[in-house]
Amino acid sequence: MTASTPIAEASARPGVAPAAPGHRVRLEHVVMGAAIAALVILVVLPIAALLLGSLVGDRGLSLDHFGEVLTGRLYLTALKNSLVLGAWTGLFSLLVGIVLAFAVSRTDVPGKRLLEITASLSYLSPPFLTAIAFVYLFSPNAGLINVFMRDVAGLPWATFDIFSMTGLVLVTALHTFPYVYLLASSALQSVDASYEEAAQILGASKLRTAISITAPLVAPAILSGTLLAFVNAIALFGSQAIIGLPGRVVTLPTRIYALFDYPPEYGLASALSLVFVVITVAALYLQRAFLSRRSFVTLAGKGGRPQLMPLGPWRWALFAFGVGVFLVAIVAPYATLIAVSISKSWGLDFWKGLTLAHYKFILFDYNVTQRAILNSLMLATVAATLAVLLGAVIGWIDLRTLIPGRKLLDYASLIPLGLPGIVMAVALIQFWLRMPIALYGTLAILLLAYVGRYIPLSVRAANASLRQVDPSLEESAQILGASWATTMREITLPLIRPGLFAGWLLVFVPVIQELSASILLFSSGSITLAVAVFNLYETGYVEPVAALAMINMAIIGLAIFVANKLGGGGIAQRTTGYGAPA
Amino acid sequence: MAGITIKGLSKRFGAGETAFAALTDLDLVIENNQFVTLLGPSGCGKTTTLRLIAGYLSPDAGTIHADDRLLSAPGSVVPPEARGMGMVFQNYAVWPHKTVYENVVFGLRLRKVPAAEARRKVEETLALVNLTGLESRFPNELSGGQQQRVALARSLVVEPGILLLDEPLSNLDAKLRERMRSELKQLQRRTGITFVYVTHDQAEALALSDRIAVMHGGRLQQYGTPVEVYSRPANRLVADFMGLVNLIPARVVAAHNGGGLVEAEGGLRLALPLPDGAAPGDAVEVAVRPENIRLRAASGDGAPCARITDRTFLGNISEYYATLPSGQVLRVQTHPLQQFAPGETVTIDIDAAQCSVFRP
Repeated sequence: MTASTPIAEASARPGVAPAAPGHRVRLEHVVMGAAIAALVILVVLPIAALLLGSLVGDRGLSLDHFGEVLTGRLYLTALKNSLVLGAWTGLFSLLVGIVLAFAVSRTDVPGKRLLEITASLSYLSPPFLTAIAFVYLFSPNAGLINVFMRDVAGLPWATFDIFSMTGLVLVTALHTFPYVYLLASSALQSVDASYEEAAQILGASKLRTAISITAPLVAPAILSGTLLAFVNAIALFGSQAIIGLPGRVVTLPTRIYALFDYPPEYGLASALSLVFVVITVAALYLQRAFLSRRSFVTLAGKGGRPQLMPLGPWRWALFAFGVGVFLVAIVAPYATLIAVSISKSWGLDFWKGLTLAHYKFILFDYNVTQRAILNSLMLATVAATLAVLLGAVIGWIDLRTLIPGRKLLDYASLIPLGLPGIVMAVALIQFWLRMPIALYGTLAILLLAYVGRYIPLSVRAANASLRQVDPSLEESAQILGASWATTMREITLPLIRPGLFAGWLLVFVPVIQELSASILLFSSGSITLAVAVFNLYETGYVEPVAALAMINMAIIGLAIFVANKLGGGGIAQRTTGYGAPA
Repeated sequence: MAGITIKGLSKRFGAGETAFAALTDLDLVIENNQFVTLLGPSGCGKTTTLRLIAGYLSPDAGTIHADDRLLSAPGSVVPPEARGMGMVFQNYAVWPHKTVYENVVFGLRLRKVPAAEARRKVEETLALVNLTGLESRFPNELSGGQQQRVALARSLVVEPGILLLDEPLSNLDAKLRERMRSELKQLQRRTGITFVYVTHDQAEALALSDRIAVMHGGRLQQYGTPVEVYSRPANRLVADFMGLVNLIPARVVAAHNGGGLVEAEGGLRLALPLPDGAAPGDAVEVAVRPENIRLRAASGDGAPCARITDRTFLGNISEYYATLPSGQVLRVQTHPLQQFAPGETVTIDIDAAQCSVFRP
């Protein structure tokens, strides 16, 4: 079919849910209505409450709160620190991410699997646990390595104070470099080799090709990854509280947190939150703009994969760099946490008298940690399930109906991307404190926070899977007489099941380690795993913190394993690449 | 078994300035038990029409009846699941997570057909489409042609009165397409189901259909038997779409009841049936198909001459480009054994009875 007027064919494709004759209430309308209402309650109303809260003061509506947060020294310092942190973290992420991405995608460096694992694990590791581990190594007085250097090696100048902006940047970058790595390596791998081969056949050298063909093609993806690293770095409450506060490096999340000390300054917190949102949204806007310029990379033709560049002896230098990142980002924090969790008391001679007593303490003796583990497991399971179901319905509305405003719904589901966790918490507090239902301090408000925060992930996952399912698969069930519910149950849901499991995992993993929003929303009854770790740490516990951290990691690992088992398998293979005939 | 009556059907997509009229004021009567093809290029409105008949789209204007039952009118559309039709999609839409058997039995299960009877019907239908023995295969273990048969069986097993087919053969390779073509035709004759078939392939339409609806730009151009639309095209668009055609600009010299004489530039004169109201002096176009022109050695008997400018041997025929003294180039198809060399001057005979005349 040559496209003289492709609009007609294109517009005719999506299966439009037909209007029922008469005014019978149909199940699909109820489900869709419920999903829209849920999105409004989860996202739209809290944001509105946040805006309102920032404007309501002692004198009615005013800009007083904004005036104060934009002139007060405390707030400006926090703003400056956040930007400095974000910028340096972005830069480090860029350097580490791009080198690893290039090594894995384009060179013959040995141990690629190790480098890939390093990036995935760094991404999955809860950053506040990494921060705690580094504190155990580098806190100025008691950090194991500092103590060793000062007291044993006699090299007091070789110590490092983790409680500083430098320390914060390094620990944060260990979590954020995978953003650059993932985007850069996927771009490098999807550049069609024929683009480069075309340059080479015209006489361009390898270097010239890299500079004038490859680099411009992948630059948008790399910049986009760097901006994502920036946005995520400045939103991390945990590491900024654990490392920043002792070093007097106050940032936006920790300043907002401080505003909730008694007496809570809701108005100021809301105004500061909105300033935070503006920065985040601006960065994400830039990121989208960069990424949209990348489309020509992903649309690569059928050419082969790019050839790998032989590096000769240099590959060992690159390998050493990768191993270095692996040691610092993975081995050091994990080994430290394991060692701390099984040592009787953390110190230079920690290996004397190893014990599992701390695990016994947090799992069997201490009811706070027990409750925290159970709460988190329950919250993560329920939140992930709700988010995935909601995401599936929203994705379906967007792709399969012609309901007016469906694009708006899709955008609304993306809003939480621009909300740092602590801002989400402030918004929920502002909203639910005004409501007659007492949700504050319950598990329910945590659930709302989690589903709301991570709904963009599940909507994206559902959307991507639904795109793989051609509408004609649903339409052919319909014309055989299947109702909407039957079509969903028999056709659509089974086909997008692998995608939904992936989406479930995508929500479960961050929820089980969520701290930024939980820290403002929990109560003693609704304490969660991450909050318990943070509180134990703040109260001065050392070894039980590490044990609890290991439990947290174990749950994440188990979830990934189970979801792979359930979501993968035969169905995934059978439906791979389905949509058009082979 | 049912007939379809379409009246004044229109459909637009989008709104405001980007609005696009996919279908405008379509009237069409599809008789019971007929094989009717909606034919036209991409964007002509044929798929829109099919999706309106199926109930996936609701019309902006007009109605669709199946026999006496009102199916579609603006704002009131019987949903596809309540229409009792069958549909075969261009990409087959065979569910990849169900076996062949599960795919085919789906519609019977919805109709609460008892298991034993359902099994019997599925087996019969699979035999009908030559898929016996493949019941437990998954679609990814089947070839494109087999998937196509599964899609057919799935639609046929519920014994629909009307079967809609959206370019069902376009994804098959040429050989298989031809075989499935004749199987489809036999299937329609045997079952007596009304087939509404969408394609952009005019050869397929000619071979299969009882009636062809030629569409262009969202409008019906002609509705008739294959012979009618091929030999008596209603307008230039139809003539052009139904196969190779030479269009010769000419002027009416004389006109009488239903016929007349036209003269092309360079003195080529033809006595032809003329459209109503044609008067001497009118500019017209004469459409003549390449197989309706004959070439013979230059004779000097006053018949028009042309010079051979190109020759292509196509196996079963030879195709010539013959240039008239006016500069007009005619494509001519002849028996392959009849051979002329490029540069040679020949005499041409145009079968005026097979020509059509259009106003430009």
